Amino acid sequence: MTEGALAGLRVLDLSGPLGNYCGKLFAELGADVVLVEPLGGSALRHQPPFAGDRPGLERSLAFLYQNTSKRSLRLDLEHPDGRQVLRDLAAGAALLLETDSPGRMAARGVGHAELSSINPALVTTSITPFGQTGPYAHHEASDLVCLAMGGLLYLGGYADGPPVQAGQQQAYAAGNLFGAVASLLAVTAAETTGRGQHVDVSVQESVVMGLENAAQFRDLEGRIRRRTGGRQWRAGAGVFRCADGYVYLLAGGIGGNRFWPNLVDWLAGEDVPRVDELRGEQWGEREFVEAEENRELFAEVFLPFARGRTKAELYRDAQKWRVPLCPVARPSDILRSAQLRHRDYFVSVEGPDGRPAVMPGAPYVLSETPWRLKSRAPHLGEHTDDVLRELGYSTERVVGLRKAGVI
Amino acid sequence: MGQLPLSGVRIADFTWVGAGSYTTKMLADHGADVIKIESSAKVDGIRLSPPFKDGIRGVNRSGYFADRNSSKRSIAINLKTAQGRALAREIVAVSDVVANNFTPGTMASFGLGYDDVREINPRAVYLAMSMSGDSGPERDFLGYGLTIGALVGIHHLSGLPGREPAGTGTNYPDHIPNPCHSAFAVLAALRHARRTGRGQYLDIAQTEPTIAVLGPAFLEATVNGRDPQPLGNGHLRYAPHGLYRCAGEDRWAAISVTDDRQWPALRSVLGLPAGSCPQEWATEAARHRDREALDEVVAAATADRDAHDLCARLQAAGVPAGVVQDAADVVERDPQLRARGHWVRLEHPEMGETLYNAPPFHLTGTPVTLTRPAPLLGQHTREICREVLGLDDDEIARLEAEGVLT
Repeated sequence: MTEGALAGLRVLDLSGPLGNYCGKLFAELGADVVLVEPLGGSALRHQPPFAGDRPGLERSLAFLYQNTSKRSLRLDLEHPDGRQVLRDLAAGAALLLETDSPGRMAARGVGHAELSSINPALVTTSITPFGQTGPYAHHEASDLVCLAMGGLLYLGGYADGPPVQAGQQQAYAAGNLFGAVASLLAVTAAETTGRGQHVDVSVQESVVMGLENAAQFRDLEGRIRRRTGGRQWRAGAGVFRCADGYVYLLAGGIGGNRFWPNLVDWLAGEDVPRVDELRGEQWGEREFVEAEENRELFAEVFLPFARGRTKAELYRDAQKWRVPLCPVARPSDILRSAQLRHRDYFVSVEGPDGRPAVMPGAPYVLSETPWRLKSRAPHLGEHTDDVLRELGYSTERVVGLRKAGVI
Repeated sequence: MGQLPLSGVRIADFTWVGAGSYTTKMLADHGADVIKIESSAKVDGIRLSPPFKDGIRGVNRSGYFADRNSSKRSIAINLKTAQGRALAREIVAVSDVVANNFTPGTMASFGLGYDDVREINPRAVYLAMSMSGDSGPERDFLGYGLTIGALVGIHHLSGLPGREPAGTGTNYPDHIPNPCHSAFAVLAALRHARRTGRGQYLDIAQTEPTIAVLGPAFLEATVNGRDPQPLGNGHLRYAPHGLYRCAGEDRWAAISVTDDRQWPALRSVLGLPAGSCPQEWATEAARHRDREALDEVVAAATADRDAHDLCARLQAAGVPAGVVQDAADVVERDPQLRARGHWVRLEHPEMGETLYNAPPFHLTGTPVTLTRPAPLLGQHTREICREVLGLDDDEIARLEAEGVLT
């Protein structure tokens, strides 16, 4: 088997919802990722949804997804002997990932400064809601609060209602993802220079990166972008109801109105009534397609046509005519996607209660160093003995640590 | 500026529009020499996407483009000409990464498909970011962030229960899941190339990374046998957890009580005496069960409050809370983003001093200071022709006159 691109890197993942996905990205490109969990288990083990809706340390679906291909070491960092174990682990690690409040690791005597005196090449990545510095560094947050403070929440939702959050904890996803890029940049530098560093990731700022052009609208045109969900915001752009749900149509593409002629040709080919009213240069002009009466005209022509077809049919036919239209898919639709099946995208691991758990697999295809699922998420402390033995700890020492309640 | 993590790495960047350009921005901001290969014969559509400086349209005036292209250089090459393609191949030959986000087959039509590139530069990491990936029945399909967001489930999962889905309001996959996964894969592949001298082909669909950040939703379907529905602003465990209207126009506070100890603190800041709520709301399970009634109580108590003042008091009491900030809040008022130096203003030759995102993280050992604004179309054509391609001024003038460098 080929070695992964990140083979030879040891990563210590002390995180939870803010960092576990980041650790997973390292693990599945070949790094040896050890989840270092407190005695009660990492925070994500306590987050719903749970398998069968029954809470349990091995039943959180988010935990089971974000911690595949890692090993678990259960370790009490509040105990001095536990901290010594962490120092010993850090001596051979390339990256330590933590998401505690700023200063907590240092207060325990295992902050970046102390660990780097043992291992100067170590990268420590801290992912926290607002970063390590600044007036909000110690503020409390949730995914929702980070999404709000980063400005993305304001853009989601309906014109006539409150802002609405992006589904499935996207602020934390952003922190994990930018955290992964930042960590690998720092590891790149460490492998070149021998010098590690402390990487300080702000979830709020990671969310800000998703504002698209809203900040520049404010800066250049003095306009505040607002939410437009649930409506056709330009003729041929937005969500449209069809026979079995909704489709998203973006006839204009980005910039200009590139695909409008294709759309009109498609509808004409289907003998859609009144399609000729959609012809003409004016449909390429921003002001015209944004005008309410023209949006309504488009809806009057398109909706009766869409209502007679399923989202799968519309997707197939639109693409045939080179029109950017996609179904508003549900997870169950996506699990059946012929495209994803062809690419072997979903993977299966043994889930709780011995039943298969099917989940997303490789987010990228690397031809020489393929993404690889190594194992299901570990049980709490499943690899404590293995990891300590690899560290050279004697059986007596491991027994002693266990007796003292450190592991 | 000191040594940056990607100093010495060169990227031949054929990406355009959203996700591809944002990927290479991250690499450019951290020291890579990113050469954006573009052409006035087929302008990157995002150069013509608003907002524009002073609202005046122009290929060098888009803020949407500018923010995605900081720290890069631009060479104008018309790839429809044979000489243009030959020049592009020369840049590719001396690059560590070759990036594009065209539909499959487009690069091959320029003689720049992976097989071509591997022949001239076996060390190159070749990043291809088509919509559906380079295989399968939907290989040739096309889409943008908004339609891809619908295709991968994030649109369906974002909205109020019982209403049509709302989505994120943005081309979400373009800005976070796709560029981050792509940049991570490139960095990993560069490591492999450093260690072995071998490049490789990265086939990154613009669907699969976003599906990957929705993982638990698929486990709900496959383990629990039900399609997850949008939660509005709710949470499966926490309550209160939502947005509460405050004084002023369209002002909202986001509040999440994530721990039972925060509940009396919230009540105290909201001025809700102990007797005004059921005793059993002391526990998370009861609050979550009664969340609709609870939301009404909280909303009534926030309606006349100033959002910033309320959130400051909640934070002082240890309750997770934040203002739902609009672009003006984020850009002009947020003291945290200011203290972190998140916004950078760079002097652009045509747009003047304009706004850019700095990286959302601090590499404290190799800090980054953005200095180079987005390039004008073809701004660095001559410089790159001289430095990278070794052409003299006469040759450059000839290629310009013949419509190759345009």
